Amino acid sequence: MAEQYKIDEMDAKIKQIRKTAEELQQLGGNIEAVKKNIVRLLASTKMLELNISDVKLVM
Amino acid sequence: MANNESMYWNPILETMPREKLRELQVKKFRRIFEWAYNNSPFYKKLYKEAGIEPGDIKTYDDIKKVPKTDKGMLRDVQTRPPFPYGDMLAVPLQQVTEFRQTSGTTGTPVYQADTWQDWEWWAENWAYILYAQGYRDTDRIFIPFGYNIFVAFWACHYAAEKLGAEVVPGGVLDTEARIMKMQELKCTAFGATPTYVLGMADTARKIGIDPASIGIKRITCAGEPGASIPTTKKRIEEAWGAKVYDHIGATEIGAWSYMCTAQRGLHVNEAMFLVEIEDTETGEIIDEPMKNGKMVITAFDRIGKPCIRFDSKDVIRWADYDCECGRTFRIIDGGVVGRADDITKVKGVLLAPTAIEEVVRSFSELSDEYEVIVTKKGDIDDIMLKIEIKPGFENQQPDILNRLKDLLRVKTNLGYKIEVHPYESLPRYALKAKRFKDMRQH
Repeated sequence: MAEQYKIDEMDAKIKQIRKTAEELQQLGGNIEAVKKNIVRLLASTKMLELNISDVKLVM
Repeated sequence: MANNESMYWNPILETMPREKLRELQVKKFRRIFEWAYNNSPFYKKLYKEAGIEPGDIKTYDDIKKVPKTDKGMLRDVQTRPPFPYGDMLAVPLQQVTEFRQTSGTTGTPVYQADTWQDWEWWAENWAYILYAQGYRDTDRIFIPFGYNIFVAFWACHYAAEKLGAEVVPGGVLDTEARIMKMQELKCTAFGATPTYVLGMADTARKIGIDPASIGIKRITCAGEPGASIPTTKKRIEEAWGAKVYDHIGATEIGAWSYMCTAQRGLHVNEAMFLVEIEDTETGEIIDEPMKNGKMVITAFDRIGKPCIRFDSKDVIRWADYDCECGRTFRIIDGGVVGRADDITKVKGVLLAPTAIEEVVRSFSELSDEYEVIVTKKGDIDDIMLKIEIKPGFENQQPDILNRLKDLLRVKTNLGYKIEVHPYESLPRYALKAKRFKDMRQH
């Protein structure tokens, strides 16, 4: 089943999202509106990791 | 279902070959074990004292070496800082965004901390449930619960939003107002405890609304075993003209299992949870189907207050059948069939209260409510069943009582005193019902 999905490509995109979010968090410094929205973005990103990136653990 | 629409929320995980799933579980177990070991003072002490550390978890069999936790421990940690959760907490207190607590039906409530990521995880797990039960973005879902300190249907609400469905929060409305709102808005689904779902149907009839006319297509039940008890499930489905699906979860665990549209047993979400069934006498892990044992469960991805090898005391059994839905997630048969701490001996006979419910609800002449009271007179146990006969069947009382006694004897091996109460006089419950009362001094 896993073979028919582009897991490597999806995982790479998810990693980019995390990296971009973390960079934005750094850039945001002490702007609460950035910091707190990034917390939410990263929580959603984690759900993508649980659904997709974790599959790579057994590929 | 649209032609290109998947049957699954996540087809990769839900249909993963079992050997891969097992491999994934071991890796995810090691990950949460390591997280707890490094971040939770409680877990670090527990594991150090047991002489086990993250590198020791290499195979599935290694998991058995990890000490279990139980509700007593969860209560005990709350006496230590940080307030009010205690040192099981694995994140700084300022990362906690959600407070929930257990209902406290078995003692002091447990306070549960969740981070925002944990809360996303709750909603994600509920999204697996709702999607498997046929909920889609075309649904208008009514949530008739109190939106309070109990987790109940909070995550159902968030998951429904995640699916893109429209959510109607029925918070402070009373039961009549909820029914009228569901009717007015043409809601297609709702979720509640089986007791409350039946109570809502009664209330609807009283105000002149046939619940089956409202247009509800599916109902998700949780909080009590009723939707996995065939006679109770049948009552609900007939009352509402809807499909009824069971789901099992817990505040301190998460939303770990669900009935799919095939309505046969409940899938364990094995990508997110490890369920082990332990023989209550030998302590061995049971792998064979249809053998009851108590559940020991791990939530792989809950980081705020991790749940690792939690002895839930829920009695479950693996099914001896597969599901036609194609999910490879293993099935438990009949939901939670009892509690290790409420399967009790009465007159020397092991009794699970769910067995009484199954019998009572099989009598269409009886109302949905009943109560069981166990007392002791001298050295002898006494078991009393209080029932209500529906209006119109009163003249059949002797026959009903004879048949009820006979069936109870067959199904539970016990003789009961039966007390008939006026219709609608026994207590009604909005959340978890307390129908079994053991008044004996232990």
